[in-house]
Amino acid sequence: MEKIALTIDGLNIVADKGMTVLETALRNGIYIPHLCYHPDLKPSGVCRLCLVEVGDEQLVTSCRMKVEQGMVIKTKSPEVDKVRRAIVELLIADHHTDCRNCPSSGQCELQRIMASLHISVKRMRPLKWAREELPRDTSNPFFDYDPNKCVLCGICVQTCEVVQGTSSLYFVGRGYGTKVAFFANKSRCESCRQCVARCPVGALIPKTVR
Amino acid sequence: MVNRQRMILVCQGTGCISGGAEQLLSSLKREVAKLNLGESIEVKRTGCHGFCQRGPLVVTEPEGFFYSKVKPDDITEIARSQLPGGKPVERLFYRDPITDMPIPYYRDIPFYSRQQRTVLRNCGNIDPEDIEDCLAVDGYQGLRKALHEMTPEQIIREVKQSGLRGLGGAGFPAGRKWEACRRAPGDEKYVICNADEGDPGAFQDRSIMEGDPHSVLEGMITAGYAIGAKQGFIYVRAEYPLAVKRLRVAISQARNKGFLGRNILGSGFDFDIEIFQGAGAFVCGESTALVLSIEGKRGMPKPLPRPRTAEVGLWGKPTLLNNVKTFCNIPLIIIHGSEWFAAKGTERSKGTAVFSLTGKVVNNGLIEVPMGITLREIIYDIGGGIPGGKAFKAVQTGGPSGGCVPASLLDMPVDFDSLTAAGSMMGSGGMVVMDEDTCMVDIARYFLNFTRRESCGQCVPCRVGTKQMFDILDDITQGQGRLEDIDLLLELGEAVARSSLCALGQTAPNPVLTTIRYFRHEYEAHIHEKKCPAGICQALSSPQGLN
Ligand SMILES: Cc1cc2nc3c(=O)[nH]c(=O)nc-3n(C[C@H](O)[C@H](O)[C@H](O)COP(=O)(O)O)c2cc1C
Ligand code: SF4
Repeated sequence: MEKIALTIDGLNIVADKGMTVLETALRNGIYIPHLCYHPDLKPSGVCRLCLVEVGDEQLVTSCRMKVEQGMVIKTKSPEVDKVRRAIVELLIADHHTDCRNCPSSGQCELQRIMASLHISVKRMRPLKWAREELPRDTSNPFFDYDPNKCVLCGICVQTCEVVQGTSSLYFVGRGYGTKVAFFANKSRCESCRQCVARCPVGALIPKTVR
Repeated sequence: MVNRQRMILVCQGTGCISGGAEQLLSSLKREVAKLNLGESIEVKRTGCHGFCQRGPLVVTEPEGFFYSKVKPDDITEIARSQLPGGKPVERLFYRDPITDMPIPYYRDIPFYSRQQRTVLRNCGNIDPEDIEDCLAVDGYQGLRKALHEMTPEQIIREVKQSGLRGLGGAGFPAGRKWEACRRAPGDEKYVICNADEGDPGAFQDRSIMEGDPHSVLEGMITAGYAIGAKQGFIYVRAEYPLAVKRLRVAISQARNKGFLGRNILGSGFDFDIEIFQGAGAFVCGESTALVLSIEGKRGMPKPLPRPRTAEVGLWGKPTLLNNVKTFCNIPLIIIHGSEWFAAKGTERSKGTAVFSLTGKVVNNGLIEVPMGITLREIIYDIGGGIPGGKAFKAVQTGGPSGGCVPASLLDMPVDFDSLTAAGSMMGSGGMVVMDEDTCMVDIARYFLNFTRRESCGQCVPCRVGTKQMFDILDDITQGQGRLEDIDLLLELGEAVARSSLCALGQTAPNPVLTTIRYFRHEYEAHIHEKKCPAGICQALSSPQGLN
């Protein structure tokens, strides 16, 4: 395997050719916040949290960037921090805040990211909180979907499509109104619950928990 | 085609048609027949002249009399004026909005005399549904020269040397894109013309397709030969039925004449063009979303890093995507050469720019100007200034995600780089003029309302960020603004611009950022004093205390 030498946050790192910057960083114990990345799936690059600085101030999603010889990567710079913090705060302002009653509390990626960036709800920018509470989708026999907690990372949709070869989950709506929905034909769902297992937040919850 | 000396040209663009120009054309034909003038006078349908606000428009040749706001009752008089010894219909002449003096000739009207109509040269002068008319001017001369006298490499060199930059938004050098596409490995390649034109109020591309469809085809066929493609697609907005119809007619006539199909003009080169009607989402104009949309998938932009469309495009094949106007420049560059083209414009922005000039300006319409002209010349000389003696406040360029440029920058040259430096952009050529009665906070809210609705929703900063920014702006216009809102808008705007996945999100904050940059006092008046200086925001008091 061809080796590639690069620096991440000043550390000299050797990676295998073909790896992405995010994979390389994670493997070397450097945490880059991410929500839509999953090792078994194609990086969709939609959560924008894994943006890093490459060379001179260009921000690139590290999940899609392949390592290159001599690359200089900064995962934490004032520029990156500013943008990343704003994205996380936007997500939180748009998210349910009742962590205490959420079955995913403690295993939630969003909580982990907040902790890593020292973001607390109380000290956030004065954003406008989501006004209305959207109804849960309980039409699937095995699990429920809570749009108020969904970060639209797309992992469930891709998992259903790629890993299971079915497609019971899909995106509906546009822009701010985008949601995940279940196909009416429930027989398509193989109840493998892979989507639930991979949900980084508490948006897909097995029915038995409630 | 009978070569009749005298002509009456009746505009049949979408604007004039909505003013009743179709009926004018048929009555005029009937009248001419009734007067037994069919042998000596040709009544001709043309595309858009650009001065839609004055429509329906009728022009008589060879004199070049320009009649505006023509009604069915005027038809007999116009027909008779073309009789030997006939007199022009003076009451229909265009009148200078300031002096009220009649201006009889097309060429003397300031709206036209200050323009440089090259891309639009045939719009309004030829019958867009008659290929003979197009051939009688310079139609397909460029293609003939390209196929018979030039190699693909020579064509690409010519396009590169011309300095032509893409006119669909980003201003990417056309020649470099063509070269990348030619060099990309593979036998199967595609040419796509981006005619999605989703900007509200823009009609440049529509008018060109309606008025001179063959120039678009000619540019595309030449591109196909240069990059080595056999198939082209025109991605047209479904809301453009007339453009689609005229393109269909043009494609079938071009096939009959051997400009499309197998062995074009005996050169051995095969190429054909299909029309694809888009579903209408603004974001489908973005290159990767457009390609997905033609493939029958959901039109969602693809994130960087990724291969360029020129290398991996439609069905994974190298694909050349250019805007309508970019293609229309090609035949001219081939005929007249790159030096001729590069002589126009500025150092880094060559040629001309086409704008839809709208808003608070006396002359609204479609204009074409050399790059580097000042905003002042466009707004005051061509546009005739601000109506009602009001003061100019700002001009918004580049469509919904362009910025608002203030009066202090009126003498700025209009080109890709200057507009970007001012916080705005060339975009695909929208230009909205605003007068003193415009509230800049309200304007920012208006444009953000458009972009937030058109966000495809896949990435966080654009999906949630534009919504947050809109909510904040909405509150400010409702008198609910908070002291921290201006800084918040600036921070969010910067974050959305820097981190969004595609150019929609990356540019969406422009109207907010520029209005804060140039009109911060208006925001402060809304927030601190709960006043709307322009008196637009209903929930707030106006300076005169009228509300
Ligand atoms: C949201 C969005 C909408 C766009 N809409 C259009 C459009 O309607 N027409 C167009 O030519 N380009 C549009 N573009 C720009 C295209 O992505 C692309 O840059 C252009 O078609 C390339 O052609 P050009 O190099 O000739 O300008 C849009 C870009 C974005 C991000
Ligand atoms: S920036 Fe907006 S339109 Fe572009 S991908 Fe992100 S959500 Fe979609």
